[in-house]
Amino acid sequence: MSSVHGITLRGIEAVRVETEVEITGGLFSMSIVGLPDAAVRESRERVRAALRTEGLQIRGRVAINLAPADLPKEGALLDLPIALGLAAALGAVSVPEGALFLGELSLDGRLRRVRGAVPAAILARKLGVSLYVPEENAREVSLVSGVRAYAVPDLATLLAAFRGASVLSPVEPVAPEDEDVRPDPDFSDIRGQASARRALEIAAAGHHNVLLVGSPGSGKTMLARALRGILPPLSDAELLETLLVQSSAGSPYAGGRARSFRAVHHTASTVSVCGGGHSVSPGEVTLAHRGVLFLDEFTEFRRDLLEALRQPLEDGQITVSRAAGSVQFPSRVLLVAACNPCPCGWYGDPVERCSCSASDVDRYRRKLSGPIIDRIDMYVSVPRLLPEELMSVGDTTPEDSASIRARVRKAREAQLLRWEPSGFHCNAELPERLLRKSIGLSAEARAFLSGIAGSLRLSGRGISRVLKVARSIADLAGSPDISRAHAAEALAYRKGGLPV
Amino acid sequence: MTAPHLELGRRGEDEAAVLLSRQGFRVLGRNIRNRCGEIDILAMDGDELVVVEVRVRSIGELMSPEDSVGPKKIRKLVRAGTLLVESKNWQGPWRIDLIAMTVDRKGEWNVEHFRDITDGAWRP
Repeated sequence: MSSVHGITLRGIEAVRVETEVEITGGLFSMSIVGLPDAAVRESRERVRAALRTEGLQIRGRVAINLAPADLPKEGALLDLPIALGLAAALGAVSVPEGALFLGELSLDGRLRRVRGAVPAAILARKLGVSLYVPEENAREVSLVSGVRAYAVPDLATLLAAFRGASVLSPVEPVAPEDEDVRPDPDFSDIRGQASARRALEIAAAGHHNVLLVGSPGSGKTMLARALRGILPPLSDAELLETLLVQSSAGSPYAGGRARSFRAVHHTASTVSVCGGGHSVSPGEVTLAHRGVLFLDEFTEFRRDLLEALRQPLEDGQITVSRAAGSVQFPSRVLLVAACNPCPCGWYGDPVERCSCSASDVDRYRRKLSGPIIDRIDMYVSVPRLLPEELMSVGDTTPEDSASIRARVRKAREAQLLRWEPSGFHCNAELPERLLRKSIGLSAEARAFLSGIAGSLRLSGRGISRVLKVARSIADLAGSPDISRAHAAEALAYRKGGLPV
Repeated sequence: MTAPHLELGRRGEDEAAVLLSRQGFRVLGRNIRNRCGEIDILAMDGDELVVVEVRVRSIGELMSPEDSVGPKKIRKLVRAGTLLVESKNWQGPWRIDLIAMTVDRKGEWNVEHFRDITDGAWRP
């Protein structure tokens, strides 16, 4: 009997799986026990074919046990440990004790990319063991510092290395560069919309949630997409968090430090956005972690979906509980929502007439519940430009994304410097205790806010969200303290928005 | 005097046994009967025990010899083989091979050897 270690994923966490293989006499058969899913059960055929290319013929009765027995195992990433366990049981090779192996085998013995390489690397680092991953996963694993990892192109190379016939070179850790994102559209392509531009700059700087309200064709979607080009690069810690999520979801790492941007259509189901399903996989709100979650036509989303977003938006993480178990996913997103001001879309338009009755407008607005509205830091009205404004050729081109991004980046660096010792990355995720203590509110701004908060009937959350936005505005201005003007601007985004 | 098709089958089994030994198999026994059925040839291929089923057809018959072994026959072979292997107290691996033979009008043999016909598809 031989035993080799692999992993399986539980949410975004890797759990060690021990693969025990026993071969006894009898008619050839191969059985896998230990709650394998279909992909694991089918590994039988891949593993057998791959071993045959190495001249290893499996005969007799093969029993494969995946321990712990009560943990469901999923995915093809157990192919490699199963194959090595078989090779060891056949006496063809001796496998190093304790090491973690993952990889999906192709019939000719090559190793294919798997999901979960980053969680596996983190587990390997915690256990202090070495890790063997498919060559295609080497890049993402190289970003996890302090792990002894080897990239394996195929089964033959690995077996040769264990026989001492060749040496595998370890994966070298590399820090990725901040590649310039190619903004599409660029902010220089957007005419007018000065207030929306400013709001998005603040949102990008401090990771604040934004609601864009405007008539059809006013450019809400274009603005939201342009936001992508001014987001600050991911910090090292943020990059690792993002990679962990993406690796678990199976999307390949393309390099760079760009934040994710997930646009979700309003027909999306609650499970697809919040996570869940048979094997409890992450939803859009998790895939957009540290990036942007864009919900166009915000009011058209199902009500229960929007309400389900309350907790992840507030806590930056979501706990998905199912019969199969409960899993925690990170969900620190910058929510960009866009909607029309009324059902017909023309409410408040300078030219077109709104044909909605007052009760229609009222019902439309009520689709967004109080708790959700309370979680949106910035209300931005996006007025439609008149045809003559659109067609006129201005003498000045608007500021481009690159220069806005430079400012945002500077503001974010200031935040990192201030908050990283306490474990936070941006103003939006500050907890209450830090907010009151070290946000740097000037005396006049404090007086101004306490005077106005009462008359605006701001909730406790409302006040702290205003403070966070004000902090971002001050950071953009390079000011250590929040002045009265910063507070006033932040407050304007809160109470403005939907034209009344 | 046996019936012509049984006579043909016996000649085929002789031919198959010769063929197997020429391939390096060690023939241990023939026409071994137990309560689950009959095993045409029992042989050793290296360190693996092989239960060989021989199927013979004259050319022109509708069904080819290999097609005449269906799931029911395979189940029967597995049962008979298991019983035999256990009675002989064999601990190593074993498999079931099929030798499909057709004889043409000139009396020439056309032979195909299928190794391990269960190939993991059979579950204990």
